[in-house]
Amino acid sequence: MTELSLRLAVSFAQILAEMGIVMFTVAVMTLAERKILGWMQDRMGPMEVGPYGILQPLADGIKLFFKEDIVPAGANKAMFALAPMLTMVVSMIGFAVIPFGPDMTLNIYGLTIKPFVVADINIGILYILAIASIGAYGIILGGWSSNSKYSLLGGLRAAAQVISYELNVGLALVGVLLLAGSLSLVEITEAQAGGFWHWFIWGARPDGYFPIHTQLFAFVVFIISGVAETNRIPFDLPEAESELVAGFFTEYSGMKFAFFVSAEYASMVLVSCVAASLFLGGWNAPYPGTIFEYVGLEQLAWVEHIAWFAAKVYFFLFMFIWIRATLPRLRYDQLMRFGWKVMLPIALANIIITAITLYIFPR
Amino acid sequence: MTFKTWVKTITFYELLVGMKATMSHLLHYKPITLQYPHEKRTLPDNYRGMLALLRYDDGTEKCVGCDLCEAACPSRVIRVVSAEVPGEPTKRFAKEYYMDMTRCLFCGMCVDACPVDALGMTREFEWSVYDKRQLDLNKEQLLAIGDRSFPVREKQLELQHPNVAFFNVAFKHLPQKPD
Repeated sequence: MTELSLRLAVSFAQILAEMGIVMFTVAVMTLAERKILGWMQDRMGPMEVGPYGILQPLADGIKLFFKEDIVPAGANKAMFALAPMLTMVVSMIGFAVIPFGPDMTLNIYGLTIKPFVVADINIGILYILAIASIGAYGIILGGWSSNSKYSLLGGLRAAAQVISYELNVGLALVGVLLLAGSLSLVEITEAQAGGFWHWFIWGARPDGYFPIHTQLFAFVVFIISGVAETNRIPFDLPEAESELVAGFFTEYSGMKFAFFVSAEYASMVLVSCVAASLFLGGWNAPYPGTIFEYVGLEQLAWVEHIAWFAAKVYFFLFMFIWIRATLPRLRYDQLMRFGWKVMLPIALANIIITAITLYIFPR
Repeated sequence: MTFKTWVKTITFYELLVGMKATMSHLLHYKPITLQYPHEKRTLPDNYRGMLALLRYDDGTEKCVGCDLCEAACPSRVIRVVSAEVPGEPTKRFAKEYYMDMTRCLFCGMCVDACPVDALGMTREFEWSVYDKRQLDLNKEQLLAIGDRSFPVREKQLELQHPNVAFFNVAFKHLPQKPD
């Protein structure tokens, strides 16, 4: 009994810490996006709240918290309330299997816990793919239950888009799964240890430097499909501002709106985490071992690992903003043609080529 | 499709050109934003701002109540109630003078029309109010705007003949007619 309660308490603390980190990153992202977007367009971004506007996320949160919660006439109230919760929960829950740091174990009163991953389950990738598919339900429900033509159109577009591009995400990951021989994100990350040439984007065998198993094409497919799956520019048709007001969350206000927006940012962070873990070696440094180990501070190596993971994730997040600042929105037929006729064949060819090279040159 | 365009397509060449452009704007960050309430742009010399009624250096109102500004105004901003100066039958003044600034389009035609230069356009532009009745200005308010915006006043000219005193114009500077 005490062991169970201790286990529960530890898990709960881990979940809270992870939630806090993700929500903090989301807050940072909302500010960083507006600032960097402004800088790239010769503007300043938010400047009024706090020095250089750094307290803008706080002000936004307070504003949205106190806004009136409007339910449109004719809306399905239960579904209308369920949709933002579903989207939010689903985008937060995916972080459970992401290893933020090295695969350490701690012993607390006879319990072995892994401090840097909430749930080290052996089907981590499948779990994330499944959760990401449920996320589409929140968007479709939100679009349908609002009783608004713009919301419905946004929801329908989201359904078609997420289904098309989810396929590419899944297929792009297969090459990595073949290389790592595991579905667990912890084991996939550990398989890429020992320098950047072992990262799966480069794909050298554990005893060599030549990129024989390179997953570069899968990486590109994954990043593009990830942008599409998070409904970001240039694939933001579900919330196309110039056509559909705000797409599937047109009718939402107050905290429900905040849920949708932070869910979008959280799923951006999730895609960045998955991309960093699968293709860029996760928490592994781009050189063998860590600097802390060389100077004799092995017990602090996890700091360096976490710093590398954060650097990679924030690199991807910056890419998201950079792409948003640059590219215009695709047309709907362009989106579908690109997904089915370009991305899907590349992903399939990547699986075949990886399988053949893996058969000829096993790891 | 030539080989060159094919290579450009598969390497996302055109996209990378765009990404380079945005990145160069980020690296050479020169915002064109003016943080308005904290810093204000310099107005042009002929800026047409808030209207005002003016006075002579001895404090008398310039306005002679001729109604020409009311006639010139294209949006019927101005309403003048003209009256005789008590005891001086040839002189008139504006007993009441109203400007409904909600309708003003700042064309400056009233200023051009005024024969005695009694109207002026100041450089004030921050006149947003919560109640638009506050923008229906009377003579005292317009004179107050003129007082604070034009501290240097025009000199009151001596009048030559009671009959031309109507326009308060000094005819002594005109070339004399030959006798």
